Amino acid sequence: MNALGPGVGDVVERFELEKAWLVDPVSGREGPGEIVVIDGVLESVVWLEGEEAKGVTDKGVVVAPGFFDLHAHFREPGFEDAETVATAAAAAAHGGYTTVAVMPNTSPALDEPGVLERIRSAARASGSPVEVLAFGAVSAGRAGEQLSAMGELADAGVIGYSDDGAPVRTPTLLRSALLYSGMLGLPIVEHAEDLELTANAEASEGYVASVLGLAGWPTAAEVNAVSRDLAVLADALRDEPRVRLHLTHLSTAASLDLVRRAKAAGLPVTCDVTPHHLALADEWIAGARRWAWEALAADGSSRDPWADGALTAPPYNTSLRVNPPLRTPTDAAACLAALLDGTASAVVTDHAPHTVVDKEVEFGKASNGVSGIETALGVLLALVDAAKLPLARAIAALTTGPAAIVAGWPAAATTPAARKRGLTEGAPADLVVFDRADRWIVTEESLRSKGKNSPLIGRELPGRVLLTIAGGRLAYEDPQAGEE
Amino acid sequence: MSVDTEPAAVAHAAGSAPTQEVVWHHRHLLDVDVVTWPEIELIMRTTDEMKGILARPIRKVPALNGRRVTTLFYEASTRTRVSFETAARNLSADVVSISTATSSVTKGESLVDTIRTLEALGAEILVMRHSVSGAPYLAAEVFGGHVLNGGDGWHAHPTQALLDLYTMRQHLPGGDLRGRKVAIVGDILHSRVARSNIWSLTAAGADLWLCGPATLLRGMDRWATAWGGGAIPGHGRFHVTSDVDTAVRDADVVMALRIQRERMQGGLLPSLREYAARFGLNAERVSRAKGEAIVMHPGPMNEGVEIAPDVAISGRAVITEQVANGVAVRMALLYLLAGAHEGAHAHEAGHAHEAPHAREAAR
Amino acid sequence: MTDRQIMTGDEIRRAIVRISHEIVEKQAGTQGLALVGIQRRGVPLARRIAAAIEEHEEVRLPVGALDITFYRDDLSLVAQQPIVKGTDLPFDLNGATVVLVDDVLYTGRTIRCAMDALIDFGRPRAIRLAVLIDRGHRELPIRADHVGKNVPTSREEIVMVRVEEIDGNDEVSIGRQLRAGEPAAAEHP
Repeated sequence: MNALGPGVGDVVERFELEKAWLVDPVSGREGPGEIVVIDGVLESVVWLEGEEAKGVTDKGVVVAPGFFDLHAHFREPGFEDAETVATAAAAAAHGGYTTVAVMPNTSPALDEPGVLERIRSAARASGSPVEVLAFGAVSAGRAGEQLSAMGELADAGVIGYSDDGAPVRTPTLLRSALLYSGMLGLPIVEHAEDLELTANAEASEGYVASVLGLAGWPTAAEVNAVSRDLAVLADALRDEPRVRLHLTHLSTAASLDLVRRAKAAGLPVTCDVTPHHLALADEWIAGARRWAWEALAADGSSRDPWADGALTAPPYNTSLRVNPPLRTPTDAAACLAALLDGTASAVVTDHAPHTVVDKEVEFGKASNGVSGIETALGVLLALVDAAKLPLARAIAALTTGPAAIVAGWPAAATTPAARKRGLTEGAPADLVVFDRADRWIVTEESLRSKGKNSPLIGRELPGRVLLTIAGGRLAYEDPQAGEE
Repeated sequence: MSVDTEPAAVAHAAGSAPTQEVVWHHRHLLDVDVVTWPEIELIMRTTDEMKGILARPIRKVPALNGRRVTTLFYEASTRTRVSFETAARNLSADVVSISTATSSVTKGESLVDTIRTLEALGAEILVMRHSVSGAPYLAAEVFGGHVLNGGDGWHAHPTQALLDLYTMRQHLPGGDLRGRKVAIVGDILHSRVARSNIWSLTAAGADLWLCGPATLLRGMDRWATAWGGGAIPGHGRFHVTSDVDTAVRDADVVMALRIQRERMQGGLLPSLREYAARFGLNAERVSRAKGEAIVMHPGPMNEGVEIAPDVAISGRAVITEQVANGVAVRMALLYLLAGAHEGAHAHEAGHAHEAPHAREAAR
Repeated sequence: MTDRQIMTGDEIRRAIVRISHEIVEKQAGTQGLALVGIQRRGVPLARRIAAAIEEHEEVRLPVGALDITFYRDDLSLVAQQPIVKGTDLPFDLNGATVVLVDDVLYTGRTIRCAMDALIDFGRPRAIRLAVLIDRGHRELPIRADHVGKNVPTSREEIVMVRVEEIDGNDEVSIGRQLRAGEPAAAEHP
């Protein structure tokens, strides 16, 4: 027993689940089934047919491979007030995640192996079996001038490089970073933002920001940066075939379209979207609380929350301040379309916990970020419930999608990070069990993360996680569940 | 002022249906977007009474005797702050003034901590001005008393919009703005006065035109388009143009907004001289408005930039009236807010939120 | 619950006439007198008293109206009665003998507010009080100089004065509770 709770971190000696809905995104199969875990190994996966399968639907208990978050902020070292590796791992497991890749904007930045060792050591000390992977910084100190110790970081086991929180500062540095990391077989993960256009910006430029008197964050800021990144990538590709670019948390229709065309043209670029950009829109800042797809008119345009009487909550809630900002419902629909057509191969949480001190301030002064690792599944299930996203696609976006992205990075492809995530007999148990028939209310108490900056506080989400097993060990167990 | 006036018979808006009895229930006044038209008329009538008090030899009534009004100004503004303080004193309230240059806020105290401290020191009504949009909404969440927004960032300045409305009604026949053309010229993008006036003037049925250089109109056309065709119940459409002659032609009211020097540094304007030449309210431009049109300005003025000195002192300018009306409007609001909390319709403590009302189209 | 009529229109008329004589008698004439009705129903009563005085003295006394809304010590009423009815004092108070006129005298708090308000407008030589009904239960040391009718009441009862100018007819009645639609302003402390 350790600080995280009874049994967490222990090898799961025996766990059986009958008559559940299994989803295996590797084989593409889903349906009624049963699983048995013995001594940390997924010994048996049985697909039920005929009489035995009767009554088991995808609306009840579901078993899926453990989720893989390709972008989260664990804040340690340096910002332990907001989150520690231990609390973040507990939050991740509560959200159904068994593997998380953390971003290097810690303090000190993760720009040399010593910091990576601190993070790994904190992960070991936490006793949580959640696998913590890491991106190294692109630039030393994330200052945007010199390259970080990329080679040493690669040897130490980072799966790529990013200056996230910020873009790679100059096109020249990006080109060098792409070439050097390409040589090492690892990607650059880019936070695409034109800093000059977003100086002092508070909310997505548009109707809502105009009415609320908030400084606008132009679409051009993301589009401009993505264009730049793709152009530099195309050049760098000519010199080094192993260059890889991953654009994270894209939020606008225009930039997703650029990626769509770049992929079609054969550029080695991938991208992801976040749950909050799929499901929330800038009208939430004005006080709306309907899902983004509910704010779409029949012609695909965004509805007017002032005209609809959709404003039901106080405006200027700082848990809605995020980078990139929440966009229009039309952009959210574009994020979903990108996920459905494969332009975006994964959903990442960009889990960004903040202290009350950083968030209980005026909107324009609040830190950017949503604490989202525990609510990602619920948000995706809301999309599934609304028939916007098939359940299997949602699961894939959380498992095989990110795994496939990593598999596209030559040096990372051979590491366990790139392993396919399926329900494979004989492999170490790495799975999540959740009940779609149940719901849970997001509250400060129910969130394991130290970061209570979630715009979904007070809201009931579909799908309660019952059990998360990572690498054969118990990561999370619902206090009320009695599955064993 | 008429004696023994029947409320139902008051015709501030000529030709409108009799105003129904309305009860003030708002615990805060953060913007005019949540105030219904009957409530706006209640504010206008109460302001009439307050003007009556200001005309007396003793310009004071004991209505807020013993109540504490605290002004918390994060932005320097002597005029508005003094206006609020005068209003509070005229109602016999105790006034405490905090201007952040001299307070612990400069030592990094957060807004929330400041408000909690003020509440512990007995503040009951907080008049706030802040440079960040949305700040009073945060205040309303944490403060147990009443919050009156004295201006937040670019977002809202409800008391200014209400005193502007009151001033216009005093000069238009029957106090009726329906169909009357109002032109607001200036830095619309950064103006909380413009935004609050959009809400109140479209609710009043005015034909509102916003005008300024394209760089200072960014985003407003999208707003105007969204509101075209009567999308928002109880609010008409408004127009946005960068052509000052179109805006001012045949207007009943012309209002200039202050242009700040910083806009040049931000690359938004070539020079103040060019602004004055192309957009400034000079005598020639103002002559294209109606003969009896009034000229307004929220102050303080940059004479020679957005308004020519001769226009500012001309007979059509009602700028000093606006200042006097400002005290009366603020007295009315302090009075109504103070009564709301104790009244039968008070909202529960902590439930600060109100959604913008869907107003009835007919008034 | 049926209301009990305690004054008819005729009885009100006679009371007004008697009060108008008393006022003049107390002043030994009409010199310096002014009538100020307290909003709302005190105002038409004040006018009627002035008319009666004009009839028998052939002198038209100045009549004003006083709204005590901003002088109340209880702001909880603002939410129910935010609408002010107006103060109009078209004469110089300084040195005048002001006779305040109200329909019902109860706890005396309204009269105290009215005196505060009057004194903000000037310095009368004297203030007197004429009421149509005195129902007892004073909470302040206030008494009326002229009373139309003394009506002992219990605290659960409500005295309702109706005047032609506002309510369409003249009548005073006592009831036990407010009926739906009955204006709350019919009763004031």
